[in-house]
Amino acid sequence: MGRIFDWIDSRFGIKEPHRRFLQRRLPERLSYLYCLGGVAFTLFLCLVFTGLLLSIYYVPSEREAFQSVVNITTEVRLGWFIRSLHRWSAHLFIVAILLHTARVIIHRAYRPPRELNWVAGSMTLVVAFASGFTGYLLPWDQKAYWATEVGTSMVATVPVIGRHLLYMVRGGEDITGATLTRFYSLHVLWLPLIMALLLWAHFHMVKRQGISGGL
Amino acid sequence: MQRREFLKKAIKFFFSVLFISSSAVAGLFLYPSKIRKKQVRFFEVMKEEELPRRGVKKVVFQIPRGDHLINTRVFFVNNGGSLFVLSPVCTHLGCLVNWHRQKGEFICPCHGGRYSIEGKVLGGPPPRPLTRLPFKVEKGKVYVGLKV
Repeated sequence: MGRIFDWIDSRFGIKEPHRRFLQRRLPERLSYLYCLGGVAFTLFLCLVFTGLLLSIYYVPSEREAFQSVVNITTEVRLGWFIRSLHRWSAHLFIVAILLHTARVIIHRAYRPPRELNWVAGSMTLVVAFASGFTGYLLPWDQKAYWATEVGTSMVATVPVIGRHLLYMVRGGEDITGATLTRFYSLHVLWLPLIMALLLWAHFHMVKRQGISGGL
Repeated sequence: MQRREFLKKAIKFFFSVLFISSSAVAGLFLYPSKIRKKQVRFFEVMKEEELPRRGVKKVVFQIPRGDHLINTRVFFVNNGGSLFVLSPVCTHLGCLVNWHRQKGEFICPCHGGRYSIEGKVLGGPPPRPLTRLPFKVEKGKVYVGLKV
């Protein structure tokens, strides 16, 4: 690679341990179906990037959230583009993960020794759903409000502790500014962090175990 | 017990206590400190002469929630002389039901819950009939009581 990279790497030393992984021979039977996980990861990177941009203008407060989203869409230069990119990447992210999951099921790539990686992948899917759900509230319009009202009320159906879980999720009895800040925090800090850790584990195991032989 | 064994156990114990206590502290921190009890408040929704003589009338109005107003709606039903108000909140998961005039039923768009004009469950997942809301007529104006 370039001279600057080599200068850094002669001190940092990340190239050598990865050489065997990056320059290994891939089996010939690989098809584009094996790219779906990579597609999902690319979309994740896109979500992180556009999300970082959006967070500069978004205001997670009860009074200003809706107006700030309108501001992003109409006033901010290319705001409509970044917001749409975030939105569509989110949709496609879920689609890509589901297709990737289907590929893994069809090829029975979940079988030993890859069970734990299947678990990590499933947890990624759950975190992706949670990110989608928490992100849906942030525009703070009527649709977001009622969708969250219905979605969170499912928590209350848990036996015995349902009511308390509901208060925990909503930050009170109703969906208010407390819910908005909770969801905002989850959406921009907790869930991306958990997702990053899960993906690191996911890729680590792919690296260690290699690509499954499939059918 | 050797010193190494003891230290291993002590460290394990220390970190278990740390983990459990910090989880408990985090749990307490995250649980909302104030959970307001809801009270019934009456909202003016329309004039007395607008009350339906027959059938179902949807009335849309705004209620405060936190710092801002949200749109909500109720159904005024006049079924053969008896007048009552139904909450549109589906008893299954809280979606807002719609009145389907042709079928003569309230239908929930989320999971297909069906209610009669009286609010009784006809089919689908709802566990209870639609909630009847208190209302009153004073000086030619109609008020509906909602828990807020």
